[in-house]
Amino acid sequence: MEATRELFWNIGRQGLLTYLIMGIAVLILAYSLYERVSLWRRGQAEDRWDRVGERIKGVVVNIIGHWRVLREAYPGFMHLLIFWGFLLLLIGAALDAFDHYSGLHFLKGTAYLTFSFFLDLAGLAVIVGLLLALWRRYVTRPRALDNRPEDLFVLLLLLALVVTGFLVEGARIAVQAPRAPWERWSFFGWALGTSLFPQGQGSLLWHKVFWWIHLSLSFLFVAVIVQSKLLHILTAILSTFFRNLKPQAIKPIEDMEEAETFGVNRVEELSWVDLMQLDACTRCGRCQENCPAYLTDKPLNPKMVIQGIREVFQEQSKGLLQRMRSWGVEEQQPSTEEGKALAGELIEEDAIWSCTTCGACIEQCPVFVEPFPKLIEIRRYLALMESRFPSEVQVAFRNMENNSNPWGIGMHTRADWAKELGIKTLAEDREVEYLFYVGCAGSFDDLNKKVAEAVAKLLEAAGVSFGILGVEEGCCGDSARRLGNEYLFQIIAQQNIETMKGYGVRKIVTMCPHCYNTLKNEYPQFGGDFEVYHYTELFSSLVAQGRLRPSKPLDIEVTYHDSCYLGRYNGLYEEPRGILRALLGVKLVEMPRSRSRSFCCGGGGGRFWMEEHLGTRINHARFEDVQRAGARMVVTSCPFCLTMMSDAIKEKGMEEKHEARDLAQVLREAVGV
Amino acid sequence: MDILVCLKQVPDTEADIRPTSDMTAIDYTGVKFIVNVYDEYAVEEALRVREKVGGKVTIVSLGPDRAVEAIRTALAMGADEAVHLNDPALLDGDAYTTARALAKAIEGMSYDLIFCGKQAIDDDLAQVGSILGELLGLQTVTGIMKFELVDDGKKARVHRQVEGGMDVLEVPLPAIFTATKGLNEPRYPSLPGIMKAKKKPLKTVSLGDLGLSEEEVGAKGALTKVVRYSLPPMRQAGTIIEGETPEEKASKLAKALREEVKVI
Repeated sequence: MEATRELFWNIGRQGLLTYLIMGIAVLILAYSLYERVSLWRRGQAEDRWDRVGERIKGVVVNIIGHWRVLREAYPGFMHLLIFWGFLLLLIGAALDAFDHYSGLHFLKGTAYLTFSFFLDLAGLAVIVGLLLALWRRYVTRPRALDNRPEDLFVLLLLLALVVTGFLVEGARIAVQAPRAPWERWSFFGWALGTSLFPQGQGSLLWHKVFWWIHLSLSFLFVAVIVQSKLLHILTAILSTFFRNLKPQAIKPIEDMEEAETFGVNRVEELSWVDLMQLDACTRCGRCQENCPAYLTDKPLNPKMVIQGIREVFQEQSKGLLQRMRSWGVEEQQPSTEEGKALAGELIEEDAIWSCTTCGACIEQCPVFVEPFPKLIEIRRYLALMESRFPSEVQVAFRNMENNSNPWGIGMHTRADWAKELGIKTLAEDREVEYLFYVGCAGSFDDLNKKVAEAVAKLLEAAGVSFGILGVEEGCCGDSARRLGNEYLFQIIAQQNIETMKGYGVRKIVTMCPHCYNTLKNEYPQFGGDFEVYHYTELFSSLVAQGRLRPSKPLDIEVTYHDSCYLGRYNGLYEEPRGILRALLGVKLVEMPRSRSRSFCCGGGGGRFWMEEHLGTRINHARFEDVQRAGARMVVTSCPFCLTMMSDAIKEKGMEEKHEARDLAQVLREAVGV
Repeated sequence: MDILVCLKQVPDTEADIRPTSDMTAIDYTGVKFIVNVYDEYAVEEALRVREKVGGKVTIVSLGPDRAVEAIRTALAMGADEAVHLNDPALLDGDAYTTARALAKAIEGMSYDLIFCGKQAIDDDLAQVGSILGELLGLQTVTGIMKFELVDDGKKARVHRQVEGGMDVLEVPLPAIFTATKGLNEPRYPSLPGIMKAKKKPLKTVSLGDLGLSEEEVGAKGALTKVVRYSLPPMRQAGTIIEGETPEEKASKLAKALREEVKVI
């Protein structure tokens, strides 16, 4: 007799009843899904259909391949076991059905044995994964997780599903074993069958009982997908597919003159992508555990921002769903239910202003949910509609308005740092290759003027022809935009673009990653298309070409602090490190939180202009990373980072042991100019 | 309640102020202008009173064309309408001619309450509010830090800081109050406010509309004349006294004060 097994063995024609139940379960799934999609579609328009190939690739890598999930070893591996186990079981079940109904009956002999072996392995993988999950959730209880009854329900449902599957197999093997020794390939079912059940016909009833339980649980599983966190099986794919592929730029508010409301204060003002993302969040807490605000005891928790908005969304959807279910004609009418306001009511204002826009929440989310851009939308509401912001923010806005820099120093002094250096302005000579866009920090802040000088000296040393805008340069507007003042940002951006275009600027090099990101990724929104480089990009290639020769040995141990806006925002992790590695006598050690995991200095998102009076200080937390890495010097490539790290060293009284310097300053010393 | 606010556009506090080459006027090229800081307190207080008891806030400003920006800012903050005294003849006057023109414009308007800033931060004269009070025959309280309506809005109770304490005064309305720092925190205009401000009524008033002659206002009518502007002397670089110990530094300092600066 050849190794195989028949479908509906021991069940008979009653088995066909399962198709009816399955039909119902699938209908429930399909209809609930239709409802969810309709709810998402109430959101504002947003185009996420570009670069479909890359989107599909992302799904393959991150869903099938678990790339992001595996960044955390334990939960990553745990989820991989459950996911791949289930996927194999699903494929197995489909093969089984295909084998039966196609009439091909290929699952016999070696094929059947291989099939049996791998399905048992898959089932076992799921069980191990689920046990790991239960252990983590209820025994080790990491802070990232908050437990709800639903979590236990889902884990137990899955466990019961797989365990009953094995019991069905075991009972069948108990009956068939003597005649079917090949069933040993179903090694786990065999072990159960030969140990748990009475051998022979006595197990037929057991088989039947477990078969029906198993089938019922399967259909329950299908039917509750949308109603439970199992929804992420579908939304994770959608969220990954519809992830943001554009650089980390903030969406512009279009047609500001005509719009009546600005920013987001109500759930329905979010885009459909935002709403869909609410349903993709599984509360894994990775955003939370990487959020500089959360980790320094600010009232902000990105996970709870998403979950909170989701609750309001759910609440508001109830009425709408009721009307949809009554097959009513009112479906098309706008909802009149007023959900909770997001600004201040759902999310406290201190939380909204705590975000440094470091992007770690997006970077760490296994399913590409974007928490912080929603906070920016809420800030826009507060800033533009209500003029509600911390008083320091108002000062920064005024300063940017009146003197085009957040410090509020007279704009006529913008180029004073360059006076003695013989740097030409574009007004004096526009026939240069690069515009060196200095930014406000390099122009007005004493600490960072030295960095601007270093950048200029290095450009000179490498024989790069460049000029500055001098007093014609304006603030790039990064802080204004991230503090929600899109109006001010657009005025500033348009002014700068006009000035630069007036001089026929093509290539720009910046010293500040915030200017860099704004000019490179956000000015194109307003017709400002320039080739923008951060000095780390330019200098790393100039060093490689031998145009900059860092020949002076320095003899220092350094660690490199990744700027969020260079690293996570623009993927410049290697360029700055490449420069450091090219320096003689520089030993580079890494902090545990580096590159895409880098921990913010606390200065982004306009936080630089605000008091940090809640919780502990973010820059102190980051300085502790420097201390732990054992580096004497922390090298930065961002004016905010440099200031924040210098301040932390001063405030901790560690000037004797540590120092913060900008990469351009270190390189300048090595080049000896 | 009809509330008037007198407002002046002034150069930004950080602006690079230089006299013209003949030192008789200020060269305003490239200078950024703002709403006079004290006038912002006045606008804010007027808006708060209106929010409490209802009514209308009207901005009255004397200045050249560019002053419209400052007026629009006040409208964006929430003021209802504005009167702009704009005539070449009105410019380059002094506190008296400014108050005179303002008084003439205000005479024809209905008001229960007038707020001014305590002084303009450009010329720092701090006189317009008081002269305006004299010309209109109204009580004037300068430099108020707190304002409340009492007696059903018939009177105002205001706080005024004086050396070592606070004056609390009750004044029957209408009256003029000049605002100083501490009165309130002026609001930042909301974007809908900015958009709406573009459509709010702004009436431009010429010399003829005021019924004054050229001799009575502006440079010609001014009782004071600026003879010459000069820049403050450049600050000298400081000297850092070096020394190993505090004692050594102290004795060097004492020596320098006695022998070089000759102050002790």
